[in-house]
Amino acid sequence: MLDQYLPILIFMGLAAVLGLALFTIGWFAGPRRPDAQKLSPYECGFEAFEDARMRFDVRYYLVAIIFVVFDLEIAFFFPWAVSLRETGTFGLLAMLVFALLLVVALVYDYRKGALEWD
Amino acid sequence: MMFETLLFFAFSAVLVGAAFGVILARNPVYSALLLVLCFFNSAVIWLMLDAEFLGIVLVLVYVGAVMVLFLFVVMMLDVNLEELRKGLAGYWPIAAVVAGLMVFAILDVVVVKHLGGVSLGAAPPLPADYSNTRVLGEALFTRYAYPAQIAAVILLVASIAAIVLTLRHRPGVKPQNVGEQVRVSAKDRVRLVKMAPEKRP
Repeated sequence: MLDQYLPILIFMGLAAVLGLALFTIGWFAGPRRPDAQKLSPYECGFEAFEDARMRFDVRYYLVAIIFVVFDLEIAFFFPWAVSLRETGTFGLLAMLVFALLLVVALVYDYRKGALEWD
Repeated sequence: MMFETLLFFAFSAVLVGAAFGVILARNPVYSALLLVLCFFNSAVIWLMLDAEFLGIVLVLVYVGAVMVLFLFVVMMLDVNLEELRKGLAGYWPIAAVVAGLMVFAILDVVVVKHLGGVSLGAAPPLPADYSNTRVLGEALFTRYAYPAQIAAVILLVASIAAIVLTLRHRPGVKPQNVGEQVRVSAKDRVRLVKMAPEKRP
């Protein structure tokens, strides 16, 4: 089974080597003469007046949570679909209840307007 | 076999290194990204244990969704971390107790049970048509059908709780309604009025 993943491993190795190589070549071959002006944060020509880290809107968090919920639902669907022949009617009904519970979540999200970005 | 053992040690080394990075990095954003590296390496180790589905789900759910959430939370918290770090070293007795308990639990499983005659040994070889996904699905939707429903309820509660806690409608914003814009016709907008010229040339 594992030998099917060999191309992915080779690809990972290539990606790591290529990334590191580009980085090292740039590090050693490029001229580096830093001074205070070059190292200062660049803000389109004027003085930086704010920390780079600023508050996010909390609505991104809501979108992320809703994404996690339905992502997990999808993750449950895959083993169910593969094993449906073995689990039969009971599996079908179990997934029906499972999916209905999440449809309730979806309807709630929709009716509350959580999917809108106003 | 030798090659697989070598790979296991390589990925474990990266995993342990990245885990150290998570707790040692000064910047919490770097910590979160190193945790992503941890998850990738654990996924590879699970793949090597023939748990393909779990490995992919680890990447799909943890890397794709949970860590994005973590990054949002880290970036949303507008706290001064240097302030927070003050006095952190004073908690070392509690940390030592927790760490000691965890080391004890791991030693109990790995060393004591191993020496006590219960050999962990190699897992029995799997049949050729073994599919981790199918076996998982069979277990999940027959024996563990009820816990699976509980999981759905927890997801429902999480979704409702997130909306109750964070959803705020702001009155007074004027969003574009594209549908209405498209449906509009010239007749609704321009009214042609017939009238006599006011001044004869």
